[in-house]
Amino acid sequence: MRSLNLHLKVLITLLVSLGILITAYQIFILGIPMTEDETDDLWNIDARVEFQANPREPVKLQMFVPPLNQDYVSLNESFISNNYGVSVNRAEGNRKVTWSARRASGKQTLYYRLVLTKRYSGEQAKASGPIFRDSIPVEGAEKIAAEALLAPIRQHSADVETFISETIKRVNNENDDNAKLLLGGDASTANKAQAIELLLSIAHVPMQRVHTIRLAAEIQQSPELWLRSFNGDRWLYFNPETGEQGLPTDRMVWWTGDEPLVSVEGGRQPQVSFSLNNSEMNAIRLAKLTDENTDADFLEYSLYGLPLQTQQTFMIMVMIPIGVLVILILRNLGGLQTLGTFTPVLIALAFRETQLGFGIILFTVITAAGLSLRSYLEHLKLQMLPRLSVVLTFVVVLIAVISLFSHKLGLERGLSVALFPMVILTMTIERLSITWEERGGSHAFKVAVGTLFAATLAHLLMSVPELVYFVFTFPAILLILVGFMLAMGRYRGYRLTELFRFKAFLKD
Amino acid sequence: MFGLIKTWKALEAKGIMGINRRNADYVLKYNKRHLYPIVDDKIITKERAIQAGINVPEMYGVIDTEKGIDKLREIIGDRPDFVVKPAQGAGGDGILVIADRFEDRYRTVSGKIISHEEIEQQISSILSGLYSLGGHRDRALIEYRVTPDQIFKSISYEGVPDIRIIVLMGYPVMAMLRLPTRQSGGKANLHQGAIGVGVDLATGVTLRGTWLNNKITKHPDTTNAVDGVQLPNWDGFMRLAAGCYELCGLGYIGVDMVLDQEKGPLILELNARPGLNIQIANDCGLTHRAHAVEARLAELAAKGIQETPEERMRFAQELFGHIPAAPL
Repeated sequence: MRSLNLHLKVLITLLVSLGILITAYQIFILGIPMTEDETDDLWNIDARVEFQANPREPVKLQMFVPPLNQDYVSLNESFISNNYGVSVNRAEGNRKVTWSARRASGKQTLYYRLVLTKRYSGEQAKASGPIFRDSIPVEGAEKIAAEALLAPIRQHSADVETFISETIKRVNNENDDNAKLLLGGDASTANKAQAIELLLSIAHVPMQRVHTIRLAAEIQQSPELWLRSFNGDRWLYFNPETGEQGLPTDRMVWWTGDEPLVSVEGGRQPQVSFSLNNSEMNAIRLAKLTDENTDADFLEYSLYGLPLQTQQTFMIMVMIPIGVLVILILRNLGGLQTLGTFTPVLIALAFRETQLGFGIILFTVITAAGLSLRSYLEHLKLQMLPRLSVVLTFVVVLIAVISLFSHKLGLERGLSVALFPMVILTMTIERLSITWEERGGSHAFKVAVGTLFAATLAHLLMSVPELVYFVFTFPAILLILVGFMLAMGRYRGYRLTELFRFKAFLKD
Repeated sequence: MFGLIKTWKALEAKGIMGINRRNADYVLKYNKRHLYPIVDDKIITKERAIQAGINVPEMYGVIDTEKGIDKLREIIGDRPDFVVKPAQGAGGDGILVIADRFEDRYRTVSGKIISHEEIEQQISSILSGLYSLGGHRDRALIEYRVTPDQIFKSISYEGVPDIRIIVLMGYPVMAMLRLPTRQSGGKANLHQGAIGVGVDLATGVTLRGTWLNNKITKHPDTTNAVDGVQLPNWDGFMRLAAGCYELCGLGYIGVDMVLDQEKGPLILELNARPGLNIQIANDCGLTHRAHAVEARLAELAAKGIQETPEERMRFAQELFGHIPAAPL
């Protein structure tokens, strides 16, 4: 017996931990949302390119587009243009779109639209970058100014990271004459970046320009310049204005390098304006979309991989164990008497089709009528099988009559009695009359009420949408349920009703 | 809520056994499923009992086919009284008790006169499964009619009172006298309204009783006190009950017996899932007694001894008997 108990405990532990592990993996590693209402931001980025085309000249316009190798997943990308050929190519970690046309004239407008989301990205490729560079040659006053700046920077820094941020701070110090000289009176971010690059190059620290877009809706923006440097392990991002390190989460890298965003041949005054807006999207739908657009298979081996119709069936099926659990608890812990274990669950399923209130009324009326017919037939001393057959036929006729009447009265509800609830009703009456036969009328009544109560509770629980979603999305929960059921199998405590049944013992 | 926890603790301390514990620790553990037919079918029980030399009401004959009904006269012979029973009946349904013959007809125990054809019809109904669980085909059993001992006259209403002893691995652990009432319609099933009266295992003197989950001291129909009655031939009952383990192989059973005026204690039937109300009748929990028996079994198993029914009966009487009379 002890080895059996140990066996059981091991089995329960195994099932429960397996269930928890799989569910935790789905939630925390795959990032599958825990509720159906959870939403994710969906960003819609429009880049509008305008330029004046030179007449009678072929046009070729190149623009950087996001490389999409970060924490973002593109759900949809489109290049909208009239009479332009489009090609996209990758170079040095950037992506570039080329629009080309043999002939165009006047003002041209091209659109690039990207729909992306932040979640469900796959494995990150290992970052790599240069860690050494040659110095930019510098002469005269500038050389002296640079060296004067570098001396305290070296003193105040410990590694590449602090070196860069110290450099940025020095360059941004408006009271520093050396910095002023290097900037030459131009305090634009681009110029600052150039000065910083110069200083860093003397110290052989490589630096790269990063052009980012801020994921914020309804604001006018142009790409913001950031600097980054590779420290041998990962890229460090710096704000050239403040020296602040780390790219904020709402920035997305559009392109890297020194080249301008857009370049045009056969045209003038290219201008790019960005407009962003975000919409919220149901997280699980988003996950499905992401699945389709990437080679990630988060949902491939979940129930979402099934055809839609099968999914709907499974949404009901996976809830059956929950219903059974309710019955188990009510019976073995509560001491409620029901007709078998599965009958209340089946009735709960039937309630799905008839709706709860109407279902209870229908169930009560038909069962009461069926049983009263049964007790009348008792006087005729019929054998069991013929008697049950009469009862079942009567039930079918009764249901037909109810359907007909409610239809005539305009209550379409009455027609909701499908085949499934009817089969369950007749089965219930059969079982109930057997119980009546064996244990008497009052017991049968008690059992019927218990069954109805258990079925109602099971139905209510089985139709909680959050729960349906959760169990359907994380079916490993069922393993935890099985663990609990196994444990219940060796529960020896009292049932709630027994506390009342044995009260006589305590009346001394 | 706290009241419930207190009740729980108090019941636990008294060793009251709940359904979950009975099922998990006793019925599932000691009763092998494949042995159930022995107790479910009264004919098999009877055949086994006869083989084991245990007293049962004498079986006159079995009818298992429609054609076999023709043999009814032959089976009855010229016996004036007999009982017709379904082998797998439940709750006492379908039992026909013939008390006497009248001219060419029969008189039932309630005084109704019926013809031979009516008995045949009853047997036909039994065969078709009218009274068996789930409506399976059944067999009819014709056996000796038990005449209850006069001792029960004052404390019972119609019907035949019977004695139920719970037997764990051959050790009687608790006993109860079941008395039919007007409400139970002459049947001795507690949930149908019969009274259960606890019995001291050592002496066979009745204790107080239970009726519909309450404690009582008087029979509701006859208003005679149910406690303090000495049951005759008590050791005979105990011996029969203790021997039932060898008979059926089931480790946790309720043995139902009757006291016949002439033949003494007889086994009526065995029950593989005996009810728990016996605890209320005895004002005592089953768990402690069952644990004592299991401890004894473990002790004996270590020594490699197997006790005879007689030894088991003595052990149970020593340990569980001689309950001081309850103060009124």
